[in-house]
Amino acid sequence: MQIRVKCNCSDEKCPEWAIVELQGVVESQSNIGDQIHDLEIGKLCCSSSSSSSQPRYTFTVGYHELSGTKVYLKKPLLVLKKKVAEDAAALPEFPASSTPELEVIGIICQKILFKTRPKALISSTVSILQAIFKLLLLNFISSFIL
Amino acid sequence: MEVEDKELRGGAESVLNLAQGSSISIRYHSLFGDYNDLLLLEADEAFLPDILQNRVTIRGQTNEEAVLCTPSATYAMKSVGTSNSVFLIPPGKPILVSVNDTCSDNKANPSAVTEEVSSIIKVASTNMELVLVAPSLDKLKSLLHERPYKLNEDLEVESRGNVGLYRWHDLLEQIQASEQELKDGLKLFSAVEIDGFWRVIDGKTMDEILSMVLNNSILQGWPLNALKEDEVVSVLETDGYPQKIILHCLETFGIMVEGSDGKLWSLDEKKVCLHFALVALGGGMMKLDIFLQKWKHSVPSGMQADLKMLEGEVLYEKLGFETWIHAFRASALPSSPAMRFAALFRERSKWEWKDLEPYIRDLRVPGLSLEGLLIKYTRRTQPSADVEPIFSASVGDIPENYVHQWYTKDMFMKAYSRFIKPIPGEEDWPHEDHAPSGPPTCNVLPGRPRK
Repeated sequence: MQIRVKCNCSDEKCPEWAIVELQGVVESQSNIGDQIHDLEIGKLCCSSSSSSSQPRYTFTVGYHELSGTKVYLKKPLLVLKKKVAEDAAALPEFPASSTPELEVIGIICQKILFKTRPKALISSTVSILQAIFKLLLLNFISSFIL
Repeated sequence: MEVEDKELRGGAESVLNLAQGSSISIRYHSLFGDYNDLLLLEADEAFLPDILQNRVTIRGQTNEEAVLCTPSATYAMKSVGTSNSVFLIPPGKPILVSVNDTCSDNKANPSAVTEEVSSIIKVASTNMELVLVAPSLDKLKSLLHERPYKLNEDLEVESRGNVGLYRWHDLLEQIQASEQELKDGLKLFSAVEIDGFWRVIDGKTMDEILSMVLNNSILQGWPLNALKEDEVVSVLETDGYPQKIILHCLETFGIMVEGSDGKLWSLDEKKVCLHFALVALGGGMMKLDIFLQKWKHSVPSGMQADLKMLEGEVLYEKLGFETWIHAFRASALPSSPAMRFAALFRERSKWEWKDLEPYIRDLRVPGLSLEGLLIKYTRRTQPSADVEPIFSASVGDIPENYVHQWYTKDMFMKAYSRFIKPIPGEEDWPHEDHAPSGPPTCNVLPGRPRK
């Protein structure tokens, strides 16, 4: 059996796809269920970094913030789509009518990779409360010792 | 097609070309799904031109592991999984530079105040990796030997039809090899195309035609190093041999030399002598001196039989004072290294290097040298420095068998399969202006300190 890998992209210009890769899994809240279509996952920001020439990317998902970089893939990934050939007439060497074939529909040369663990975002009001609480606690402890 | 393109728009450009200081919302596509018909294939730069010019084919029967063939090379396809979430973002229309341009793709979310949106269509958990492999030519050999060509086969009962016969495109369907490798393989097994079918010629037929050529050379006074093709063909054709087979015989045993008057063939001494050696040996074992006598008698005059010609074709065995010889052809052994070594160690449990080398020198495994093969499949023992090393079968185990299952990837994945909540660490503690609290001061009490 032979499966042809076809490519209709003319003059070496395949549509370029993108990858956002992160560690672990993104889970939606339980009340959303399966209705995840059109649901926002997060916000991708490109921040200019002072030190290195490479821009840093941050991806905010819920209360978690990821930071990562854009990576050029050493070996590009081709996006293939399984198809059942309809235009068998165009390929006289492969007369079988239902031969499956693969079509190259895109190429991926770079991805935005978040390879570190997520950092928790703590809203400012919470941290102020915590600070006050800690202050009280410290005072309490120090008075106790003295 | 048009519709599909529109639906699969995701705005990859805007993600990849995200300007510094700007942001984009990433969301699930309205058509987000499993998309099992989408595959990711990792492709070498060297291999891209072949893909783009439609010269790549995936070959394999349903019970075989698929391989991917370019015109000249064969690659195994390995599926590689990842525990990361790989979000695939389909290409989108070119993003306009103006900041307040709104992307029309996702109008469903009214709360979005962002100007640009990218959508993910699929979470890819695996991609295919390509590993260069040797073509599976053993199958080609067995297919070709299903029905070798015999003289006068047309006179046989004509009931078999085309069973066991293969055309070029039948072979392409069946054999997991690139076209170039298949061509080389057919040459290696000295197959010839007869009436559109690729055939190997039966040994007896070859023997018969070779003897006819040699006999006629004596009768007609042809020099063995310059046989005129026209003469040979015309004489043998009158004896009823098909032209194609005569030419194939000349090609198998000789080398073509362009002469001034037509094509000339020079018979190769080694090939002809080897043929007679195998005929003389037959199938069984023979005492060496008897064999030599028989062999030297049978080779055509003017050719010198030499035992060196039989490297990789015969094995010697010492039984008492006698040396015995029997045929053991490297070309008859399987071409995959594991099977080759298994066959070799079935024949003999211990091999010396000089005996072993002719049987393994044709092994070609991408990315592994002959040394590597020896380390993988054999155990080398050398009792003392002045003795030739001996190769015997290795235990043939995989190292994974000796590692505790706790160190396997499966276990690792299991251990971290549950959700781990990120917790605020030291850097998230609130900072304050107080002097840092030190250790309590030590009050020295009166009196002599205790020991």
